[in-house]
Amino acid sequence: MSYDEFESKMDQNFVAVRYNVEVEGAAIKPEEDLDVQNSLPTDEPFRSIALSVLYEDRDASLANVQKALKDKIPPIEIINNGLMKGMDAVNILYNKGFYFLPDLMLAGDGMMEGIKECEKVLGHKSETKGTVVSFVAEGDPHDIGKNMVVMFLRAGGFEAIDMGRDVPIKDVVNAVKEYNPLFMTGTALMTTTMTAFPKIVNEIQKEGLEVPAIGCGGGAVRKDFVESFPMSVYGVEAYHAPKLAEAILKDKKTWKDLRKEYSEIVGEFVSEYS
Amino acid sequence: MKRFTKMVYKDSDDMVFGHAKFPVSQHWNTQIGAGYVVPEIKVAPVEGSEETKEGMVSECRNITQSACERAVSIGLPAFMVEQEHIFQQTNNPDWTAECTQVQSETLEKYYDEYDIRVSLLATPADIRIEERDGLRGSDYDNKIMESVEASAANGASCVAIETIGGKSVSDYGIARGDPKAILFGIGVLGSIDMEYMWKRIVDVCRKYDCRPAGDTDCAQANTAMFLAGGLLDKDCSHTLAALARAMAGARSLVAVECGAIGPLKDCGYENPIIKAISGVPIATEGKNAVCAHSDLMGNLSAAVTDVWSNESVYHREEMGGTTPEVWLQATGYEAALMNTAIQTGQEKILRDLYTLTDKYRDPQALVLAYDNAYRIGEAIVKYGKDPYLRARAAALEAGAIINEAVESKKMYLTRFERDSLDHALNIFEALPTESEQFTDDCIRKYSRKISEFDPKSYEL
Repeated sequence: MSYDEFESKMDQNFVAVRYNVEVEGAAIKPEEDLDVQNSLPTDEPFRSIALSVLYEDRDASLANVQKALKDKIPPIEIINNGLMKGMDAVNILYNKGFYFLPDLMLAGDGMMEGIKECEKVLGHKSETKGTVVSFVAEGDPHDIGKNMVVMFLRAGGFEAIDMGRDVPIKDVVNAVKEYNPLFMTGTALMTTTMTAFPKIVNEIQKEGLEVPAIGCGGGAVRKDFVESFPMSVYGVEAYHAPKLAEAILKDKKTWKDLRKEYSEIVGEFVSEYS
Repeated sequence: MKRFTKMVYKDSDDMVFGHAKFPVSQHWNTQIGAGYVVPEIKVAPVEGSEETKEGMVSECRNITQSACERAVSIGLPAFMVEQEHIFQQTNNPDWTAECTQVQSETLEKYYDEYDIRVSLLATPADIRIEERDGLRGSDYDNKIMESVEASAANGASCVAIETIGGKSVSDYGIARGDPKAILFGIGVLGSIDMEYMWKRIVDVCRKYDCRPAGDTDCAQANTAMFLAGGLLDKDCSHTLAALARAMAGARSLVAVECGAIGPLKDCGYENPIIKAISGVPIATEGKNAVCAHSDLMGNLSAAVTDVWSNESVYHREEMGGTTPEVWLQATGYEAALMNTAIQTGQEKILRDLYTLTDKYRDPQALVLAYDNAYRIGEAIVKYGKDPYLRARAAALEAGAIINEAVESKKMYLTRFERDSLDHALNIFEALPTESEQFTDDCIRKYSRKISEFDPKSYEL
């Protein structure tokens, strides 16, 4: 029997079902979603600025922000009532499954472009909910996970200090001293680079410093390993990072709480914590 | 350097597991692609073993010995051990030398005692970091080549690597759904960097009884595949990941053009395309690599394999034994099924069943089905002399394959997959036909946007 004959005999759904096709709904314009409608500003120039973020248009975001600044709109208002509102709408659509990672990254680029422009006028960094330090473990060059974490944190209104990849332990410790972060995130792809995490915790303790939690995740990182040393929380998905940071900020959750209540805090079933 | 402008296989139906047009002979009486499938075992050293050289050497010995014990316990006629280096091994070539030597001695002992065919694949890590001293001539770059030599000189049957050239740009493109950046990162920068790395690797291997094996686009196309994830994930479109994989075929081919002879490295899911073009044997992975990651083509990837791998697993104990034992047994039994099919003349039936179990599960599986992989190969060799044009042609052909399957109602796409495929194909179709123009345009665009990207690393 030939390959083609085999193929013609088969009912594909008998062996593989594309559930994603079955569950995804009909297309609507992003601003037509009810929750997005409630979140978007109605007055100008904030609405146009928010929409340019929502439409992931970096150039339009920059142009709208520059025009608003020229019209003497205070930069803080542009950030809080325009750029951040647009990003809130993006987050709503991402959490509903209508937007995807590329949408979030591009919208984030648009938001950051606008914020940088506002900061030029402000003369200093804009206020954020808090600072998070993000790094890739020493010896590890794999940074796409960290880049996603950084973008999710920024999209959530946090300042994410991006330390890059292959970051020496002493540099991470120095960053704790310098930024006094709300939270730290460390990522690693390999079993033998994730060993940097307990060493960092050890150095932080030796220096008599404290960081509320260090969220560790990435390719080869395991929950049992991360929970074998103090201060640490096993992070499962990049988009969980701002939710963990919010829990630390608003509900004063400690690393021990985060370990216990991870699924509740991120608001979904997480098999690693089941 | 000879570029492929013709297909070595004249018909996709001639491709089948365990057979390659150009089999590879290695020491310890092992042949790859010579009429039987070789199971592979690869185990990641346990955390903490990287602290000292002694710890790493002992770890490598234990992994190899465990695999050998299980191989003879269950009667495997042949197997391959791959050691993917950790950072510390490659960064300290004396570690590489001792680890390779102890693994080689262990394998040889079993070869001498049982006449079992064994093979040792050493894979130094590509530890270069683009934004730190560039990709060329840095300390890390030199350490990689020293580790390649230490592997070859101390008994490795063959050497592979997962080069990372172009990754800063392709990562940017994958995370943002930017097809042009993916094409530039994989098709142009990846290909340029592979040429730089592989000419040197081949020269080193030729000095020893060690074969230059091959590369994989793990750093780029696998990033897209893993971000695309399962059917319900929403980080990267599965259609874009499929196009990235087709481009990876054009890119990973460069190793063979520089003199690599196979087996091409296991996690290169693009390998069937390269086998179709060049006739070299390939390693692949699928359902027996679930210990390492989830893919959507667990059976399909076995269809034209020559070395069947478990990809990677923590070195630890499971109920059935230690992981080198357990996962070699898994790949070993699957290879036994394929070898039984070969012996009984049923190999093409099994190949087709493997393929059809997954062909329409995911667009990437579809484009890698051996008949479609062959079509992508044909598109590549048509523009074989130009790395940019052939990668672009591969992506366009993959898009055509997906669209045909959609039209014939065999493949179903989500809106996200549909939109991103249309978007990517529109962009690719409108791109310049001159490589230089495309490169200049991309350098202008992405140098501004991606701080890690340095054109000098590619001599651009």
